[in-house]
Amino acid sequence: MDENGTDGWNIVVCVKQVPDAADVSIDPDTGRLNRSDAEAVMNDPDYNSVEAALELREQVGGTVTALCMGPPNAEEVLAEAVAMGADDGVLMTDRAFGGSDTWPTSLALASGAAELDADVVLAGEETTDSSTGQVPPGIAAHNEWAQLTYVEELEPDPENDRLIARRDIEGGYERVAADLPVSVAMSYGENVPRTAGLHRKIYAETEFDPEEWSAEKLGIEDEVGLAVSPTQVGGMDTAEPVPREQETVDSADELADRIAEVL
Amino acid sequence: MAAVGEPDVDLDAHTDVWVFIEQHDGEVAAVSWELLGKGRDLADQKGEDLVALVLGEDLEESGIPDEAIDRGADRVLVADDPVFAPYRADAYGQQFRHLVEQRKPDIVLIGGTHTGRDFAGRVAVPTHAGLTADTTELEITPDQYEMRRPAFGGDALATIICPNHRPQMSTVRPGVFDEPSRGDGDGAIEQVEVVVEENDTKSEVLEREVGDVADITDAEVIVAGGMGVEGEFGPLERLAELLDAELAGTRDAVEAGWIDPARQVGQTGKTVRPKLYVAVGISGAIQHVEGMDDSETVIAINNDPNAPIFENADYGIVGDCDEVLPQLIEALERQEVAA
Ligand SMILES: Cc1cc2nc3c(=O)[nH]c(=O)nc-3n(C[C@H](O)[C@H](O)[C@H](O)COP(=O)(O)OP(=O)(O)OC[C@H]3O[C@@H](n4cnc5c(N)ncnc54)[C@H](O)[C@@H]3O)c2cc1C
Ligand SMILES: Cc1cc2nc3c(=O)[nH]c(=O)nc-3n(C[C@H](O)[C@H](O)[C@H](O)COP(=O)(O)OP(=O)(O)OC[C@H]3O[C@@H](n4cnc5c(N)ncnc54)[C@H](O)[C@@H]3O)c2cc1C
Repeated sequence: MDENGTDGWNIVVCVKQVPDAADVSIDPDTGRLNRSDAEAVMNDPDYNSVEAALELREQVGGTVTALCMGPPNAEEVLAEAVAMGADDGVLMTDRAFGGSDTWPTSLALASGAAELDADVVLAGEETTDSSTGQVPPGIAAHNEWAQLTYVEELEPDPENDRLIARRDIEGGYERVAADLPVSVAMSYGENVPRTAGLHRKIYAETEFDPEEWSAEKLGIEDEVGLAVSPTQVGGMDTAEPVPREQETVDSADELADRIAEVL
Repeated sequence: MAAVGEPDVDLDAHTDVWVFIEQHDGEVAAVSWELLGKGRDLADQKGEDLVALVLGEDLEESGIPDEAIDRGADRVLVADDPVFAPYRADAYGQQFRHLVEQRKPDIVLIGGTHTGRDFAGRVAVPTHAGLTADTTELEITPDQYEMRRPAFGGDALATIICPNHRPQMSTVRPGVFDEPSRGDGDGAIEQVEVVVEENDTKSEVLEREVGDVADITDAEVIVAGGMGVEGEFGPLERLAELLDAELAGTRDAVEAGWIDPARQVGQTGKTVRPKLYVAVGISGAIQHVEGMDDSETVIAINNDPNAPIFENADYGIVGDCDEVLPQLIEALERQEVAA
């Protein structure tokens, strides 16, 4: 029983749409990164959070709702989460969100999670595009909730309205108990995400249609977007590949000689 | 919900460079000293103070505040209370935020460790500060302060600026800057008021297991293994012994349980800059290469001639590591005898 007296937990899982990392190219004329060629996919570490959310639901009951802030076509990643087993999905989409850095992005997700009356909001360790890892602690900070990051394993403790996590820390691990509601970032690769079942997949592709929320609906239209973002991307350089000899040697003896030269 | 920050931040009211000194059980994370070195340069350029912050319990006995002075801090702010041991995001965030609001630093540097990345947002969000993640370059230009960081798995380097908000915070990748040596400083140590009550915290550490934390960031020689090693790290250990090297691995090798997570190299691991990096059974994914790209010489052993690691290597050998490694070890042993 959660604090609302209903059975199970309201579990929200944040999934982001990102350009496929394998597809991001560099425009030869401008030297700028070309993201428009790349196929839009679900951020790889988010599969781990969806899996963790589904496992949590199996343990404590309740519902899993996938939440995404992004352009209209980002509903595809919600459909993917629903295909894996999420009960529902909500797309926060609005021009007002454009240009948001992690401050408003985490505010928007925090507001969405609060609107969904979340007990637990799960996210990935970081994204494959801008990879700040700042959004999950940001959600906790905006809502003044507890947080658990770099999580390897979750142990729900519904009797005490707490979630216990084994976290990866430098040189070892710790087990931390956090009061609900809590924002969780799963460590990338810690579990094996399930593949979508056929029926669920068909449902997600043909029938599922996420609810769409605007910034106004959440009452945050003046607190999102470029204007309130403290950081700005002031420029982007393509990282020059480090020049390497790229010489192939034929024998281990030759390799040993090279090593001797270097050291 | 935290309040929206002031739209008109008084930029001039913010001065000084702050560095967070991360310590657990009296052991300081190496990146904190690296940041003190970089922070010293920035503070000198600005003509302002370098301030170190230490949170924890029994800090005086630990000698850490004195060491911060000896490594360049003009002032050390110490928050000493059992509520800060062991580390928790909510307690650290609340105290740090209070100090930022009260004293208004201009620049704040926090190590990009799990701890630093865990609590930095708990300061930046309520103060509406800019927070740049995992920076590798910090520069004061005539116009602005620029924080640079890898993005898109290291394919690009983004310059992040923070024109209208203060402080300008960043987490910084460990192993990027040099650690300043310990001199004889004459800065001041100040005990600050502790504003966190145990009852306010929303989390409890039930158990904590920490062994020796390996530090590979300063290694001169590194022998690293990936999935191609298939769990057989014995030959790599022998090679490391011969070359007086530290062992390291890819994220996948860490996840397979073959090597200690503190020895992971790459985007979500450590940045290393050795003279020699030997990559064994490593494909050369961009997220791995990002962490070892500054190595002077790279050697790759891989049985796939098309593995991307060869493009990032000076000398490569195409072959099965089960065969190549014993031969290489033997050849090096012969050299050693001859020398
Ligand atoms: C090159 C570049 C560099 C940038 N650097 C910075 C910077 O240093 N500081 C800064 O404040 N902003 C920065 N930004 C802006 C930042 O990328 C955006 O705010 C972004 O929307 C969220 O950050 P992230 O992708 O790093 O999220 P992360 O914090 O890495 O994401 C962690 C998890 O949060 C969830 N999540 C994140 N975004 C969404 C979403 N839109 N919908 C659903 N779930 C989500 C996912 O579960 C994800 O796995 C940068 C942008 C670019 C293009
Ligand atoms: C957000 C994010 C962050 C990441 N952070 C990191 C990071 O910090 N560090 C990191 O390393 N990775 C990171 N990764 C993972 C990265 O993308 C790769 O999956 C990983 O580096 C691959 O590890 P590997 O080279 O050991 O394994 P594989 O890619 O499986 O490569 C194994 C190689 O071994 C070769 N091989 C096989 N058998 C033999 C043999 N008998 N002899 C010789 N060679 C053999 C194969 O040809 C292959 O090239 C991250 C990924 C994401 C999405």
